[in-house]
Amino acid sequence: MNPLAFATPWALLGLLTILAPLLGNSMRSTRYPWLTLLPADPLSNAIALAIRLLGVLAVVALVLGLSGLYRKAQTVERIGHGAHIVVVLDRSNSMDHTFAGKASDPASHGGGSEQSKADAARHLLTEFIDRRPHDRIGIASYSTSPLFVMPLTENREAIHAAIDATATPALAYTNISKGLAMALSFFEHQPVQGSRIVLLVSDGAAAIDPDSEATLRTQFKQRQIRLYWLFMRTANSPGIFAVPDDPRDDNAQAMPELYLHRFFSSLNIPYQAYEAETPGAMQKAIADIDRLEQLPLHYQETRPKQDLSALCYRWALVFISLLLAAKFCEARLA
Amino acid sequence: MKDFRFGCLCLAVAAMLALFAFPTRRQDSERYNLTAIVDITRSMNAEDYRIGDQAVSRLTFVKHRLRELAGQLPCGSKLGLGIFTERRTTLLYRPIEVCAGYNELQHSIAALDWRMAWAADSRIANGLLNAMELLQAQDSAMMFISDGQEAPPLNPRYRSDFSAIKGQLKGLIVGSGGLQAVPIPKFDAKGQRTGIYGPDDVPHRSSFGESDLNPEKIEGYDARNAPFGKHAASGSEHLSAMQEAYLQQLADESGLIYRRLQQDSPLLDIVRDAKLFESAIADTDQRHLFALLALTALLLSRL
Repeated sequence: MNPLAFATPWALLGLLTILAPLLGNSMRSTRYPWLTLLPADPLSNAIALAIRLLGVLAVVALVLGLSGLYRKAQTVERIGHGAHIVVVLDRSNSMDHTFAGKASDPASHGGGSEQSKADAARHLLTEFIDRRPHDRIGIASYSTSPLFVMPLTENREAIHAAIDATATPALAYTNISKGLAMALSFFEHQPVQGSRIVLLVSDGAAAIDPDSEATLRTQFKQRQIRLYWLFMRTANSPGIFAVPDDPRDDNAQAMPELYLHRFFSSLNIPYQAYEAETPGAMQKAIADIDRLEQLPLHYQETRPKQDLSALCYRWALVFISLLLAAKFCEARLA
Repeated sequence: MKDFRFGCLCLAVAAMLALFAFPTRRQDSERYNLTAIVDITRSMNAEDYRIGDQAVSRLTFVKHRLRELAGQLPCGSKLGLGIFTERRTTLLYRPIEVCAGYNELQHSIAALDWRMAWAADSRIANGLLNAMELLQAQDSAMMFISDGQEAPPLNPRYRSDFSAIKGQLKGLIVGSGGLQAVPIPKFDAKGQRTGIYGPDDVPHRSSFGESDLNPEKIEGYDARNAPFGKHAASGSEHLSAMQEAYLQQLADESGLIYRRLQQDSPLLDIVRDAKLFESAIADTDQRHLFALLALTALLLSRL
């Protein structure tokens, strides 16, 4: 790939003007009756040629500068530690409640145990993202239906903008299978490199219908996904690892969390579930993921495009100055 | 005495020196900070726009125009995205810088889909009020893009009250859709198109709360059992046209500006026309002026 390009390529038409220094000359012409009378002088010929050449170079440098010569942005491959992570955020109504299951007081943003689960998740994810500079991160969220928020990207500003936007009130119900399907679709048409992670952040689960179950099963496997489930347990609700007291409750409708956990465990993919009942416990889980997912990753670092027109102008100044110097040396004959 | 060629060369050198001394000049430029809120309710699937030769849905066209806008906004501007359905608005992301975030904007706008809707009503006024509340504390101007079709129809007795928030937010309501009523396509759970909505598929009037009509004028009126009369309403709510008068009225009530999204007007013209930009002083390159002067002088010295 040619690394050079022009901002205004049409200005290159100006190159036609090199005809002027080729045909003309900035020196005064002196009349001689008969040129053949003059002895052949290699030095004079060389100087005359040099002056023409200087003229051509000056014009070329100016025109290249005018057409905005630049070196294209280059990507350099580096190896670091990181992963491709798709964060799947639960936007169901209950995420706006505290871990104690109360509706959170909007005045108490920013800390304490009265923080809503959504707030806690947002703060932790923000820290997590800041700690992992080389990851490509994508964001999907779901309530009754899945929302595509941000494709896999290195753009930190965009990721933060998307995480921040979850501060707006939550939406409706929990439809976890659609959220997961949306997250898996992020890895479509992406090169397999580094580890591919789906980080599910939810405070509840829902039964998955058999159709989506089969699809999810094949896609998790095919796309080589590692799954982390950060389950934000509300006080007094059944957790992921709860064993039903009454065998009649042992079904996906009554204990969706347990059944979802069983489904994930049966996927035969690397899977880890964390149950957090406080913001502190969540922090531990996130730190754990941060520590585990440090596989070497090839990533592209982009060197921004570099403007070369200033360089062109500098050379143009040098050439024109030399021409002017030559003009000073001009001998004046009567 | 030096000849004119000497003068030309001196001028060329002087121009080049000036080029390095004053490479930029300060100039007013436009900076935008916009948040687009896109209506993704079913009526936005009605097909009354065209891209090239193909008839496309309102939503597809809005996405097309938004992606174009994201590419046209001057660098340093910011664009955020949100969606509206039911009676609420949610933000997908806060405004991000349009040049650094070009890919992200293009991708996420292209991914907007009516199937992102978490519920199926279309209460425009509620959604607008909700969007204004969400964006109130931000410094971003709002661009609320909708066709204005309330579904089910609104009972005029219960209207959203914008008085508390009127004038606190800069922004636009962009009406999308044609003025001719067109059918709304119907899709099944898998996203396959299965025809169009018929008159029996949708309610044609509000049957919520108290009727706004004079009870004596309603045939078969019964205060408890039939407050809207005994006849089923019929109407054309299964067809959809852009409700321009209604959107205009909402704009007046909420202190926003109304504009129509026409087939051939880019969104950039609309936001520029509505003066949603802030002027910022930016340095613009002016080296080409000096370079042209130097080139001209250099060429003249060759005559």
